[in-house]
Amino acid sequence: MRINSNMVPDILADLQQSQSTLNMALQQVATGKSVNVPSDNPAAAADMVQNTVETSNVDQYTKNVTGELSMVQSADSALSTVVSSLTQAISLGTEGATGTNSAANQQAIAQQVQGILAGVVTQANLSYQGNYLFAGTASTTTPYTADPSSPSGYTYNGNNNTNSVMVGDNTSIQVNLPGSQIFSNSTTNVLQSLSSLVTALQSGNSASISTATNAVTTALNYVDQQRVFYANAEGQLNSQDTYLQQETVNLSTQQTSLVGVDMAQAATQLSQAETDNSAALAAAAKVLPNTLLNYLSVPS
Amino acid sequence: MGGLTTSLYIGVQALESTQGALNATSNNIANANTPGYTREVPQFSEGTLNFTGGQVQGGGVTLTGLQSVRDELLNLQINQQTSEQSSVDTQSSSLQQIQNYFTTTGGDIASALSAFSSSIAQLSANSSSTAAQQSVISTGENLAQSFNQTASGLTSAQSAADSQVTQTVAQINSLSQQIATLNGQVFQLTAAGQSGGTVEDQRDQLVNQLSKLTGISVAQSDNGETITTANGSPLVVGNQAFSLQTTTGTNGLQQVIDSSGNNITASIQGGQLGGALTIRDQTIPSYLNQLNTLATQFATAFNSAQAAGFDSNGNAGGKFFNLPASASQAAAGISVAITNPAQIAISSDGAPGSNGNVVNLAAAVNNALPSGETPAAAYASLVYQVGNATSSATSQSSAIGANLLSLTNQQSSESGVNIDEETTNLIRYQTAYEAAARIISTVQALGTVTLDMGSSQSY
Repeated sequence: MRINSNMVPDILADLQQSQSTLNMALQQVATGKSVNVPSDNPAAAADMVQNTVETSNVDQYTKNVTGELSMVQSADSALSTVVSSLTQAISLGTEGATGTNSAANQQAIAQQVQGILAGVVTQANLSYQGNYLFAGTASTTTPYTADPSSPSGYTYNGNNNTNSVMVGDNTSIQVNLPGSQIFSNSTTNVLQSLSSLVTALQSGNSASISTATNAVTTALNYVDQQRVFYANAEGQLNSQDTYLQQETVNLSTQQTSLVGVDMAQAATQLSQAETDNSAALAAAAKVLPNTLLNYLSVPS
Repeated sequence: MGGLTTSLYIGVQALESTQGALNATSNNIANANTPGYTREVPQFSEGTLNFTGGQVQGGGVTLTGLQSVRDELLNLQINQQTSEQSSVDTQSSSLQQIQNYFTTTGGDIASALSAFSSSIAQLSANSSSTAAQQSVISTGENLAQSFNQTASGLTSAQSAADSQVTQTVAQINSLSQQIATLNGQVFQLTAAGQSGGTVEDQRDQLVNQLSKLTGISVAQSDNGETITTANGSPLVVGNQAFSLQTTTGTNGLQQVIDSSGNNITASIQGGQLGGALTIRDQTIPSYLNQLNTLATQFATAFNSAQAAGFDSNGNAGGKFFNLPASASQAAAGISVAITNPAQIAISSDGAPGSNGNVVNLAAAVNNALPSGETPAAAYASLVYQVGNATSSATSQSSAIGANLLSLTNQQSSESGVNIDEETTNLIRYQTAYEAAARIISTVQALGTVTLDMGSSQSY
């Protein structure tokens, strides 16, 4: 068989091949990515779309958890202040109920309890980053304002709804309780109990002071129970935080395995491709100029 | 003397034939790098030797002609593979451009979607923050813009393919014309009993160029080659060329019309034309369609999530995304309808501090659309399709390229010029020429001797 002496197309194809491998290896080392355009690895590129969306979501969920955690802690510490105020009111009530106080003392005690009531209202009106903590979802409305017509002296302006914050795909955690549930519940009204105690102390009637003090004790227990909600929310947020951190690691591991480059391997491939390319070039340089003419003497 | 004259005559013939052979060799060497050139081999034939009356008559050598060494079957295979390769190459280069719009660069739909999604998650925790609300609007605008840009990228790739159709058809017509002319010349040469030689080379070369433009089938007939498109519309019959035409179709894209007035757009296969038509009429419309469906379903889902809640002023949520009237323009025309952050339907109960509806907004982004896929998954599947089409076009091209290379090598081994071989021939014919010249000078010397036989002076 006649042999094709024209090696140019073969040599060009070989050179092109080794050049393209070299470019690919160089690009991988330079960018640190094995998938730069979808055609490099269509399946990985498609998975990366999900990964990108999920990563930025998880990132935001983590921020949400951190933000909500400090809000829940503020609410919890407000309730803790209320609990100690109520404890103080109970001991004042007990003192007032002994019947051994002078009228002036009794009035002073009543004033102290009145002060405690004002303090509790201050806590109930606490805001976190411009939003009222205990106004339900009406977080821009001051929850409790003075109202002489109300038995407790205060009226609730918020609503009975709650907000939940997204901390995961399809995972939301309720982060607030409305003031109407904590402070001015129809069965256990914290503000009302304090206000009744003030009235009882002012009247000086031991029996009614005792009744009012008992009501404050009930309110204290009730508020303590409500704190469980915030403790739970805190616990949920903490465990979600752990989960999200794990998820961040998982997603970034997935990203690395999808489009990342093993540097040692990529560098080896690059040097391999360089060698191949030089070899192809050297072979071309050696073979191409070879013809019979090199060995024939020039006709004299 | 008769014998000597015969030798002289034989010597002259040898000189002439060898000269012809030297010419052929020179021509082979000269055209060693001419594309489509097939080497020509001198055909010698020996003259009949007669032995009459104790003397040799006749004999000698004649150069009957030069024969081009070609293999028609190989040519056909090469043309066919050339068509296929040029088709996938055209698709590949268009897809390379298209896939840039689907690469994670920051301006693509995936990045915009993830920013939009996380801005909604942020809104969940900071529902009353104007900054968080504003961020939902601006990431929403970015998302709409990425849809617009991707759609316009696809559309401009489509119109690039469309103008390629017009240009390619013009090139096909010009090539058909040239081939028809050469066909006529080959016919005249063969009719006169000569070899088509270089004219055939030129024609084969043009036919190969034509096969790069569109898939063709070539048949040999009495009056030369008959070339038709893949579906049988004639391009060249004998020395007559039939031109294709383009006309703007109802969809605004160029349609290819054959010489009998039939619309053959859908049946054209292979070559640049086939590749451009596949990209223009199948690949891009399929991507655009999916993109439009995604834009429509996503915007509709998000708008109904908006409608389920109340904005910061306590009004029922209005449209967040505007969709153009025509569904086929959904991705190209999607835009954000609201500019005021207070118009985002965050609240579920009408109170400005409620974030109850954010969950619904997030669900529209993260949950499955009527298509059964989440927006990210629907887009991911599009990315997969684009990437896969690009990578398979590229690998097909290199597979066909390898095949084509081996066919061309086979063709070169058959028809190509081998410099070493030609150099050897050169030496061979040089020696033969010298030898023939020696015959002439020998006969001359002998003639002188014969003429001097009767002269006394020679003694």
